[in-house]
Amino acid sequence: MDKVFDFRGVSFAYPGREPSLREATFDVSEGERLAILGANGSGKSTLLHLMDGLYFAQSGDVRAFGQRLTPDAVERPPFGPLFRKRAGFLFQNSDAQLFCPTVEEELAFGPLQMGWKEEEILRRVGDTLGLLGIGHLRDRPPHGLSSGEKKKVALASLLVLSPVVLLLDEPTAGLDPRSQGMLLELLDDLHGRGGLTLVTATHDLELLPHIADRVLILGEDHRIAADLPTERALGDTGLLLSVNLIHAHRHRHGGMVHSHPHQHTRTHDHAHGGGEDHGH
Amino acid sequence: MGSLPEWMAPADEGTALLVRKAPRVSRAVRRGLGGIVGIAAALLDDGLPAGRRGWLGRVDARAKVLGLLFILVITTLVTTLEPLALCVGAAWALALFGGINIRRVALAMLAVPAFTLALAVPASFNVVTEGAPLVVLCHLGGGHWGPWRVPELLAVTDRGLFVAARFALRSAACVSLASVLAASTRPQDLFKGLRGLGVPSAFVMVAAMMTRYLDLLLRSAEEIHLAKLSRSLGGVGVAREQVWAAAGMGELYRRSRTVAESVAEAMVSRGYTGEIHTLRQGRWSWRDGAFVAGCLAFGAGLLALG
Repeated sequence: MDKVFDFRGVSFAYPGREPSLREATFDVSEGERLAILGANGSGKSTLLHLMDGLYFAQSGDVRAFGQRLTPDAVERPPFGPLFRKRAGFLFQNSDAQLFCPTVEEELAFGPLQMGWKEEEILRRVGDTLGLLGIGHLRDRPPHGLSSGEKKKVALASLLVLSPVVLLLDEPTAGLDPRSQGMLLELLDDLHGRGGLTLVTATHDLELLPHIADRVLILGEDHRIAADLPTERALGDTGLLLSVNLIHAHRHRHGGMVHSHPHQHTRTHDHAHGGGEDHGH
Repeated sequence: MGSLPEWMAPADEGTALLVRKAPRVSRAVRRGLGGIVGIAAALLDDGLPAGRRGWLGRVDARAKVLGLLFILVITTLVTTLEPLALCVGAAWALALFGGINIRRVALAMLAVPAFTLALAVPASFNVVTEGAPLVVLCHLGGGHWGPWRVPELLAVTDRGLFVAARFALRSAACVSLASVLAASTRPQDLFKGLRGLGVPSAFVMVAAMMTRYLDLLLRSAEEIHLAKLSRSLGGVGVAREQVWAAAGMGELYRRSRTVAESVAEAMVSRGYTGEIHTLRQGRWSWRDGAFVAGCLAFGAGLLALG
């Protein structure tokens, strides 16, 4: 399978701050579902920004679709527009992503910048709105929409470009359970039937089995702590504890108070000193 | 984790609450901010589609901008009162019979001219505008007061009254026309209309984004204020309030900058390279043409009247 992204020893720091990412080396193949897992501030969003050619590596080498990502490369045709078409970035904050006066213009923005014909753009806009079941929002201003609707419109504004890879930054954050379910089903559909490569940054362990087959875990030292299949990553309590993704905290069982490391999202059994075994 | 200190127990209410009453200014800020958020939300989008804004709402935004802007320019050229009064009447007629929500515009159409009239009152006196006295208010006796000459009497002059009335009528006409345009056109259509009339896309985009993010900015301001309010037990004095206001403004600036940077990134991510490309506009209907023709004829009539 072709490589979509190839990172070799990549480091990045915001001006005047400590590095947000240190010597990251990994690759993403076409059609893969990768999750970037890490505690808050571990560098997940930074990594997505680097993948989308919004930030550039200060050391190391980032390649996308075989081409080195540099400020010059992402601006110059033919690679620049092609890269923007192929890689779609769903921001965590939908309000930042939706900046046009209407939903229709929001969807048309990307294709218009690519210089596509207007008839084709309008056809694709209609199809994409239909696919996501938001045709009734076409003429509405994005600021008046609910969080779930905004997320759908933001996703539609990427899908209209028919991308090869979707970079998703905490896609379910702030969504109600129904909207979360809808989004996960849609992403599953896009991957299963559309063959889309999905890269999702999250710290939500519950989400992992639904969105990724492979997990890249970032430690609090901003280095890649592990690169594992999802099942193995979720089963490695020691690893998850060391990167601050699970925790040990005190809790009660009737009158008994005790503490041990656990995930809130997975069931487990354990024994107490007095021989009282139970499961969570 | 350390153990809870004694005073943190829920039963502890021993600490005296030395609460002062919130000052009037603080309460006014609270009410004012809530009001502004509400008004802005209503102005930005009242939820009505274009087709449900009466016949005037169905006229293309380009036609409305062109026609009403033409009349607005004419009001700055005419010098007599009759055409200005006629223009105000026409704007009210459009508001009443155009099918738009009159309650949304009535306040602006009444309050702004009244305020302008109050500002223009001094211009009607002979000390500002010379002319034949119509109403004598008092005798001042003439002479000099320091370097200034004191007139014989303080009176409302015919010329002064005319100047004040023309100023008030002109502003009434302009505000009424702008109100009718705003109430009958959704912001998103207005921006499309401006683009369709050849206003550079970059300007329209900036204006559209300002409108788009005004709502977000006001909500952030409200959030900051409510967060402070939820931990306020009473007044803390004006100096403290000022410190808080400055800190709030700083935080608001930081948040707006963060959003602005994210917006720029989102634009670049979807292919923006410095030049904005937007959708073309639809064709004009007979209704749009008739509206513009009517406005042109009306404007020409006003000009002929004076």
